[in-house]
Amino acid sequence: MTGVKEVLGAVVAAPLGWLARLLDTPLRLWQRLAGQNGMVAFFLLPNMAIFTVFVLLPLVINIAYSMTTGAALFLPERTYVGAAQFERLLRCTDYTDLMTCQEDQFWIALRNTGTFVVLQVTLLIVAATITALILNRALRALSFWRAVFFFPVLLSPVVVGLIWRWILDRNGVLNAALVGMGMDPVNWLLERNYAFSAAIGVTIWAHLGFFALILLAGLQAIPRDLYEAAEMDGTKPARVFWRITLPLLMPNMLVVIVLALIRAVQVFDEAYVLTGGGPGTATLFLTQYIYEVGFASLLKNPGLAAAASILMGGVLIVLTLLQLALGRKNERKGKLK
Amino acid sequence: MGRIQLHDIRKSFGAVDVLKGIDLTVDEGELVVFVGPSGCGKSTLLRMIAGLDQPTAGRIEIDGTDVTPRSAADRGLAMVFQSYALYPHMTVRANMAFGLQNTRMPKAEIDTRIAEAARMLEIEPLLERRPGQLSGGQRQRVAIGRAIVRRPTAFLLDEPLSNLDAELRVSMRAELSALHDRLGATMIHVTHDQVEAMTMADRIVVLRAGKVEQVDTPLNLFNRPANLFVAGFIGAPGMNLWAGQAKGGSVQLDNGAMLPLPVGLAVPDGAVTLGIRPQHLRPQAGGPLQAKVRLIEALGPESVVHADMGAGNGLLAVLPGQPDLARGAVIELGYDPQSVHVFGADGQRLG
Ligand SMILES: Nc1ncnc2c1ncn2[C@@H]1O[C@H](COP(=O)(O)OP(=O)(O)OP(=O)(O)O)[C@@H](O)[C@H]1O
Ligand SMILES: [Mg+2]
Repeated sequence: MTGVKEVLGAVVAAPLGWLARLLDTPLRLWQRLAGQNGMVAFFLLPNMAIFTVFVLLPLVINIAYSMTTGAALFLPERTYVGAAQFERLLRCTDYTDLMTCQEDQFWIALRNTGTFVVLQVTLLIVAATITALILNRALRALSFWRAVFFFPVLLSPVVVGLIWRWILDRNGVLNAALVGMGMDPVNWLLERNYAFSAAIGVTIWAHLGFFALILLAGLQAIPRDLYEAAEMDGTKPARVFWRITLPLLMPNMLVVIVLALIRAVQVFDEAYVLTGGGPGTATLFLTQYIYEVGFASLLKNPGLAAAASILMGGVLIVLTLLQLALGRKNERKGKLK
Repeated sequence: MGRIQLHDIRKSFGAVDVLKGIDLTVDEGELVVFVGPSGCGKSTLLRMIAGLDQPTAGRIEIDGTDVTPRSAADRGLAMVFQSYALYPHMTVRANMAFGLQNTRMPKAEIDTRIAEAARMLEIEPLLERRPGQLSGGQRQRVAIGRAIVRRPTAFLLDEPLSNLDAELRVSMRAELSALHDRLGATMIHVTHDQVEAMTMADRIVVLRAGKVEQVDTPLNLFNRPANLFVAGFIGAPGMNLWAGQAKGGSVQLDNGAMLPLPVGLAVPDGAVTLGIRPQHLRPQAGGPLQAKVRLIEALGPESVVHADMGAGNGLLAVLPGQPDLARGAVIELGYDPQSVHVFGADGQRLG
């Protein structure tokens, strides 16, 4: 096995080494010309260029778009309207009734996303924790089970959506099975609550492995003799979980929760492929709303979409800062130990 | 309370036999030390007594009751782990209370017990701290405190001192012995440090490769080792062991030296191994042992002399004071024949 690996490694490394030798002389010359700091800039440049063109520039353009109106694509041709797009998004005559809001679709998407985030993250965390606990106990074939649970994470979101649509469709596999067992078929994706649950279930299925793996790493870092000490004391399994496992898993758990929140707020591809936002607006989420307002609907309104995306971005920034803060806190704790 | 009996305990991990039939009785209130080289099965045996592992075969009795099928919690024992196994997210007080809370003990009683143990171990100022804020020695005390509050029938300690620095280890050794006297509870202490075993134990159990080699008091082990392994393992520096041929009250070594045997010891002619402790050798002009000095460790009050007798036989002698010896010098040594140990071809003690 290693023999094969080594040979392959050598085969791959040979042209790279050759390339490196080829580049050596010109780079040395260049360094003499540009100096140390010049070289740093030189190597950073490609990355910075990509980052600027594909991240920074769109961000700035997006902010600019959010303050303009019209269907024109190019910024200079668009009319400046200040905060009007934000006003339009947020204005309602009666905030207890979303139907009175000017952009009722935005509010519906917001409410759906809110409900989705709360339910999906809660269930996902519980499921991931249980999975991690079981995997942590599975002495046999651990890597096999780890792979089984991680597999969906590797699938493209669109493939995930398609697989489950194939299963849950009116003429899909699940209904065929139900009919085969003499039961009535169910319109899984055309019934509001079923469709919403399906969106939750499928996204959990797709992301479970990732989160379970982080939690599993946390579980495996808990020293075994703590459990043996608890066993000597006759501690009930539930108490062991609440008083030992969970507190020691908390650093990983917090990271997992925040990451799951961030992903849930951004929910789009799997759900969109699965339900297309339907039935009606039952599974219309914020990202889909932004996408449709900006690109897909007949009356394209890129300005409005940009404004909505900035509001959503605000929420994500808060969550990301939270995650960074947690990460830093863990790091400090790690250093203390 | 606290008499532990092991009957033919065996343990295999897959095809590997780790314990090969251990019989042992630990009396009430006794401090017994398991000692042996790394990997000989000390921890495995202790975990079996604790109930953390099940023996493949054999029976464990505590105070005459068969506890083999019982869970760890139902054996009334407490264990102190090498790593201390303190719960890092709980204060010292919570660590000590945790096991008691499992038994639904009233809070007042828990507080009394913790206060008492904390006083005994002088860790009262540390009660509200977390293990991460303690030194190694303090953690050690807390781990012992957590065992004490449970008032177990016996304490099981797996190398509790091995993570401490040399100085602290010596003082904790004394403290543990004092604690044992004070509590009067049975203690089984595991170590691979024979000095620790010698200084602490009422009786020492010498283990090797999953078998008991000898069980006896420290001095008996030192004075009358039952076999070659114990002879070489107990005592520092190690005993001189020389192979030779016994013939009419003497042993002839490969290098030709004729060494007298103890008077009155009947040794059949044939291959034997002779053992003499380095401390029992003394300078003697024309003595039966002649050796060339290779190295001298001058320790001050005594000196350890490493020497060669030829034919591959090394020699260790602990000589009093600071003898004036140079490397390469030839020394002549003698000994009291009564201090000699003789082992037969099978490695067992003769006489
Ligand atoms: N779970 C296990 N699976 C397989 N082999 C094991 C297991 N636990 C212990 N062993 C083996 O059993 C033997 C005895 O181990 P044990 O831990 O009891 O040694 P020890 O005497 O405590 O050594 P040390 O002084 O190094 O702590 C070792 O050879 C070890 O490799
Ligand atoms: Mg051990």
